[in-house]
Amino acid sequence: MDRRSFIQKAALTAAGSLVAPYILPSGRLFANSPNRVVNHVVFVLFGGGLRQQETVEQAYISSHAGQNTSGNILNNMLAGSAPSQNLVYTQWNPILSNPLMNQGTLFKEMRYENSPTGHYNAHTNAITGKQTATGLNLNVNPEFPTIFEYFRKHTGAAATDAWWISDSLGPYPSLNYSRHPNYGALYGANYLQPSTLLFLANQYFGGNLNYQPDDVERIDKVRNLLDRNFERMGEALPGIQNNRIDRERIKQFILNTLDRSQNGTLPIATPTNTYSGATGDLVNISAAWQVLETFKPSLTVINTTNSDVCHTNFSQYIQNLHKADYGVGWLWDKIQRDPVLANNTILICMPEHGRNLQDNNVFDSNGLGAFDHTGDQNSRRIFSLIAGPAGKIVQGGGFGSSVAPVGRTIDIVPTIAHALGFYNDIAGMVAGQPLLQAFV
Amino acid sequence: MKKFILIALCASLVACKKEINSTNTTVVDNYIYEVNPQEVYQSNADKDKQKTSNQYISILYSNLFQTAIPLQEITDLSQIRLAIGDKQIADELILNGFANAPNIQIPSNSQMRADVELFIEQTYLRFYLRKPTAYENLQLKQLIDEDPDLTPQHIYQSFALSNEYKYY
Repeated sequence: MDRRSFIQKAALTAAGSLVAPYILPSGRLFANSPNRVVNHVVFVLFGGGLRQQETVEQAYISSHAGQNTSGNILNNMLAGSAPSQNLVYTQWNPILSNPLMNQGTLFKEMRYENSPTGHYNAHTNAITGKQTATGLNLNVNPEFPTIFEYFRKHTGAAATDAWWISDSLGPYPSLNYSRHPNYGALYGANYLQPSTLLFLANQYFGGNLNYQPDDVERIDKVRNLLDRNFERMGEALPGIQNNRIDRERIKQFILNTLDRSQNGTLPIATPTNTYSGATGDLVNISAAWQVLETFKPSLTVINTTNSDVCHTNFSQYIQNLHKADYGVGWLWDKIQRDPVLANNTILICMPEHGRNLQDNNVFDSNGLGAFDHTGDQNSRRIFSLIAGPAGKIVQGGGFGSSVAPVGRTIDIVPTIAHALGFYNDIAGMVAGQPLLQAFV
Repeated sequence: MKKFILIALCASLVACKKEINSTNTTVVDNYIYEVNPQEVYQSNADKDKQKTSNQYISILYSNLFQTAIPLQEITDLSQIRLAIGDKQIADELILNGFANAPNIQIPSNSQMRADVELFIEQTYLRFYLRKPTAYENLQLKQLIDEDPDLTPQHIYQSFALSNEYKYY
C-alpha cells in the first residue's frame, strides 16, 4: 500500500472510529444560508500595489516621459486592445474570450483610505474590513476579526470551507485569523503557502509508509493512552485546527499535489500548462485551483505579490501584471468548467493599494521609471472587479470615476458577507458597506 | 549563570535519588538541541510551555535519529511548517517523513519484546525526558503484550504526536 492509499484509508478508519458527530464551531450543523447569493466566493487580492494608470486606465507606458504607447495589459479582466508596439513584455493570448468586466461589475475607481500603504496594512484592511494604523509588515494576527472568522462563526462552516492561500510567507501566514477575543483561531481559515510546499517539501515528505488502517488505529490507541495521562491538550497549540477527518483529507491533498507537481500532471496557470514562464503568483493561483477543485470551499482568498517588483523594475511589473491577469482568467475558466463551482461562484479582484504618481528615479533597462507606494493620493486609488453569474451579478456594470470614486477596500468584507448570506450578522461590526451595485 | 549553579547544586543534593541529571541546556527558541545531557523531569506536571516550531522539529529529529538536526534541514522544515496553517497537519507530515527515513534509530519488534519494561522506560526517556509512572508502565505494557503487531514504530509515532510531546 502506498502512502496515498494509507492516508485515504486512515481517513476512513478515523471516520469509522468517531463515536460522536463533529460539532462545528458554532455548535450547529453547517447548512447553506438561504440568504446566500452564491455558494462560493473567490477573492483575488493583488498584493504589491497596482497603479490605476497601468490597469483600468490602460496607459501601459504612456505615463512615462517621452512615451505615448498605451493599451490594455489585463486582457482577461478588462476589455480593450493590447499594446501593439513598444512592447516591454511578452504577451500571452487571453484565455477568456469575454473579459471578466463583461461578466460582472467594474468599480473603476475605489479608495484605499487612511491606513499606511504598506502590505500588512493593506492586506489586513482587505481581509478584516477595518483600517489599521500599524505601519510595519508585522508577523502578528490582526486585531480585528478576518472575513474567515466572520464567515465561520456566523454560518457554522468547517475550517475546510475557508482558505487563505498566499504567494509568500512574511506577514501573510498570520492573516487567517485574528487576535479578537470573540473570534480567533477557532474560526480561522486553513492556510497554505504553496510555493514553499511545492518546491521544498517533497524532499522531506517523499517516500512511502507501508501502513494499513489498523496500523493507524494502533498509533491512535497508544496516543490516546498517552494523552489521557497528560492534562494539557494538544488542541491548545496555537493556530487553526481541523477535525481528524479533515486533517487526513488535507494531508492527502498536500501529498497528492506534491506528487502531481513532481510528475508533471499538476495544471499550471500558464499557456503551456507547465512551470515554464510561471511567476510565483501563477504558482499560487495554480495551487489555489487545486484547493477549489478538491474542497469546493465557500470562501477562498488568494493573493499575488509579484507586481511589487515595480519598486525597481517597471517593465517587469508590466510583465507580472499581465501574467497575474492570465492567472485570474485561467482560474475563472477552471471554475466555469467545474460542475459544482460553475455559475455558483463570485470572483472578486482588487489590488491591496495603488502606487505613487511620481517615479522614484530608479530606471529599468527600457529606461522606464519605477514606482513606490508611499501614501500619495495615487497610491490610494484602486479598482475592484466583481464577476459572477448573470441574474445574480450585474453584467457589464461600471461605477466610479476619479472625481467620484465608489467603494473602499473595507467594503469587500461586507460584500463577501452579503454574497454568502451573513452580512446582517456582522453589519454592526464592520465599517464598510456591501457593494450592492454589483448585485442584481 | 546563577541559575545554572543553582540547578547544579540542587542536582548534587538530590543525586542519591537518581532522579535528576544535571543539565547545561536551556530550552529557548532557535536552539539546536544536543542529544545529551538532558534534564529529566520528575513528572509531566512540570511541562507547561509549548514547544515552538523549531523546538518541536529539532527535538523530534534528535529523538528519532539520535543526532542533532542539520541547520539547513531545520531551516527548511520551519519554512514548511509556516506554510501550513494547521500545525498538527504539518507535524504529522514531517513526522511521516522522518519515520520513513532509512537512518531512523529505532529498536526492532523483537528487541522491544525481549524486555518490554526496558523499552518503555527508554522510550519515555527518549521522548518525554522522564521515566514512566508505574501506572503508565503497566498500561503501555498491557497494550504491547496484547498486540503482537504493535511495533516500536507505532509507539514512536504515538509519542511524537502526543500532547505531552508538544510541551516542555
